[in-house]
Amino acid sequence: MRTVATRVRDRARATPHRVAMREKHLGLWREIEWQSYWDSSLTVAHALLSLGIEPGDRVAVHAENRPEWLYTDIATVSIRATTVGLYPTNPASEVGYLLSHSGSRLLVAEDQEQVDKALAVLESCPELEWIVYLEPRGIRSRYHHKKLMSWQELLQRGAEHRAAHPGAVDERIAAAAQEDIATLVYTSGTTGPPKGAMLTNSNVDFAIEASLGGGSYGITPGGKDLILSYLPLCHVAERLLTTWYNAGAGVQVNFAESISTVQPNLREVQPTILFGVPRIWEKVLATVTIGVQNATMFKRLNGRLWLGLADRIGHRLAATGGRHTARTRLAYAIGWVCYYRALRERIGMRWVRHALSGAAPIAPEVLRFFMGIGIAMHEVYGMTENTAIATANRPRKVRLGTVGVRLDGAEVRVDADTGEIQTRHAAVFAGYFRDPEATARAFTADGWLRTGDVGEFSVDGYLRITDRVKDILITAGGKNVAPSEIENGLKASPYLKEAVVLGDRKPYLVALIGIEADTVADWAQRRGLAFTTYRDLTEKPEVVELVQDIIRQANTHQATVAQIKKFRLLPKELDENDGELTATQKVKRAAVATRFADLVNQMYGGAR
Amino acid sequence: MNRPLMHHRYSSDMALLNTRAKKVAMLALLAVAALLALLLTDDYLQLLATGAATAIGIIGLNLATGYAGQVSLGHAFFLAIGAYTAAAISGDPHGRTIGLGITSILVWLPAAGLVAAAVGALVAPLAVRLRGLYLAIVTLGLVFVGGYVFGEWRELTGGSGIGRPAAVPELFGVRLDRSTALFTRDQQLYWLMLTLLVLFALAARNVARSRVGRAFNAIRDRDIAAGIMGINLARYKTIAFALSSFYAGCAGGLLFCITGYLTPDNFNLALSVVAIAMVLVGGAGTISGAVLGAFFFTLLSPLTKALPSLVPAVTDDATRTPNIFQLETVAYGALIVVFLVFEPRGLYGLWVRLRSYWKAWPFSY
Repeated sequence: MRTVATRVRDRARATPHRVAMREKHLGLWREIEWQSYWDSSLTVAHALLSLGIEPGDRVAVHAENRPEWLYTDIATVSIRATTVGLYPTNPASEVGYLLSHSGSRLLVAEDQEQVDKALAVLESCPELEWIVYLEPRGIRSRYHHKKLMSWQELLQRGAEHRAAHPGAVDERIAAAAQEDIATLVYTSGTTGPPKGAMLTNSNVDFAIEASLGGGSYGITPGGKDLILSYLPLCHVAERLLTTWYNAGAGVQVNFAESISTVQPNLREVQPTILFGVPRIWEKVLATVTIGVQNATMFKRLNGRLWLGLADRIGHRLAATGGRHTARTRLAYAIGWVCYYRALRERIGMRWVRHALSGAAPIAPEVLRFFMGIGIAMHEVYGMTENTAIATANRPRKVRLGTVGVRLDGAEVRVDADTGEIQTRHAAVFAGYFRDPEATARAFTADGWLRTGDVGEFSVDGYLRITDRVKDILITAGGKNVAPSEIENGLKASPYLKEAVVLGDRKPYLVALIGIEADTVADWAQRRGLAFTTYRDLTEKPEVVELVQDIIRQANTHQATVAQIKKFRLLPKELDENDGELTATQKVKRAAVATRFADLVNQMYGGAR
Repeated sequence: MNRPLMHHRYSSDMALLNTRAKKVAMLALLAVAALLALLLTDDYLQLLATGAATAIGIIGLNLATGYAGQVSLGHAFFLAIGAYTAAAISGDPHGRTIGLGITSILVWLPAAGLVAAAVGALVAPLAVRLRGLYLAIVTLGLVFVGGYVFGEWRELTGGSGIGRPAAVPELFGVRLDRSTALFTRDQQLYWLMLTLLVLFALAARNVARSRVGRAFNAIRDRDIAAGIMGINLARYKTIAFALSSFYAGCAGGLLFCITGYLTPDNFNLALSVVAIAMVLVGGAGTISGAVLGAFFFTLLSPLTKALPSLVPAVTDDATRTPNIFQLETVAYGALIVVFLVFEPRGLYGLWVRLRSYWKAWPFSY
């Protein structure tokens, strides 16, 4: 029986001294070899056994991406227990909900901050027996809770158990079954509380095979590929790219220091395969735009020249699906020498051979920019419930604005009546944990997974996603409008970070706009516009004018019903702790609409 | 696929030549410098050898002034101590002036440095008590004291206006100041000076990035703050002066090998001032800057000497005006003013500016 744990074990036996992962420690990228990876995982597994973790028990991890996350995950799977990931940004209440709902018996918490969250909600989690902390700073010799244990103690326990019962973990590995729940992935929950999707060993195995084969994403990752692991590991996409790609293909994982150091870490690591959520790509695009604008005159003119050319190359590539023509190849070769090589080095994408965007819809303009500067950019589609396996754009067959074609072995259909996309394959999840009702709702009568997304297939099999089913707006005039398309068009501007289009059962569409603080502040500075806070910045007439221009521009691409008539700038940056964003930084539309109801009412007030 | 920013060891993070481009460029530079001896005529080689020897002294001054912030106008004094120590050790025992007859450079060069360093360490207590302008004035005093002592001590120096033969460079029994069958005198001296310059520069660079160098920087930026940080001011200022004097002593010993003769009049205030000018124009607080500054000023004089043939109004006759010697002095002054106002980091600063322009490509930062 092949699990992600046996994959790691076999890799450690086959290539014990290859680099499995790197973590930055005091300025150095410390390498961890496969042998050491498996050895640490095995010790942790023994420790879990010694603590009485039984098959099917849940082990939670509340940490940033780091080797211990993987050790715990592999150890947990190897003893047939279930890993539960918590977002590092989850507030204490959320932590309490996730720990009690999952019934985790052991929690691996990163540091004092996460331990504090767990201790605060301990009463609501009766099943939680141990809290293992990784960073002793602030905890050691100050906290004396009987459930607390340091990582060192855990390893110590594991080593003792390993000496006493050397074959214990192997027995568990041998007994592993297809339908063992390898992990619970809690969905971010834009509406209602998070739901724990149960992914089995066979789900994970299928997902690894489907995403690694040359026939699916169109590349074959291998031991020479590097990735940067920076998105939360509890998200299915990062887990696929980090843990599963690593175990499945030997891809070297490099852990970013934190989400805020992604850009410098990218420059250091220069990964070959790069997955990003739209927010990351938009941010890089904004960095380039600002970098060019703030450059000295010669560099600015030079930047405009080559980015202009890149734009034309991007358009050409978008038309050919990513295949170079002789002309674009020549143009790019010249640009490579003068500009693109240095630019890609600066943004950490010099060696990227396959870039993936997923987890949320992205504006085609953003993708086209990256294609223009020579990065093979592919939008992919999947969700937690189907282990991120559905469709993907493949190299040289890219179609912008679509999420590509079915992956090998994956069945995807669009329901004729509702237009909902549905999938059926071996990686479709086993159901929501402790929630049979939601599980029942997630499947159609004939056993297909409802994705909750509306879309359509083109004649030649490219899937285009319109929006989430529940986000589709129906205006007072009875027209269906997909807000996310409009929003993504707006977010392609470097000055806009968030856009929430509203207008259900209203005569016209309005938008709540969140500006990108960095770029707008920079813009204001160059105009000599004085401002104090974010809020002050949003209230400047010039800034409103700037946004007005962007919206006017975007409106020209839209049909009359889909044009934004009025907008307001959000007076604050949306935040997870205020319940406006999910842990994956997706906007909770309903929460935002309620919170800023006065702004929305203002916009509809004049035209009652 | 190279990833220059991904360091696995501190040694790669700290390496002086941390990229392949730098390694190649440095090797090429050294190769060209070595081959120049075969390409240039002897008078140019003599000039370059002088530049290299001067550079050693300027590196020393830069350690005290540029790195540790201790402005010293007494550098000429330390050069003199080194020059006379070297000359006395290697001098003819039966000659007019003091001489021990030990001509091996392996003996007199370290000795010249150590004697100067010892005197530097004696002077250092002044620097511990004084700073800024006061220190500059006090070190200025050294030049006058030295001028008097060397002028009167005829057994050692031969006396003002008369002088004595300089140190004799002999390495493993070979007199480098005499042409051999294979190479001319100037080729040999040039190679000697070049090798020593590389060694001294490398040593200084390593001192500068060590604990000592960081202490120097802290003292330069604010000695009170440095003291509060736990840096022993007396100790590090003494090290700065001793080290700087060591370099000056060595440079003094070497510098006069090339001409073969020295008089006490060589070591006047103007020499100290030119040394400071070299540091400032080259780039205070950098080793490369010190080397640049030394060569820049050394190579300036053949330029001004070529001036009379280009501009008829200028003569090379010191009794008429305007002559090249006056122009040279004016040029020194003007250069100091221009650099301090427009590029305080000196020639090296120009290089840094150029390099960071391309390093930041395609952005500005």
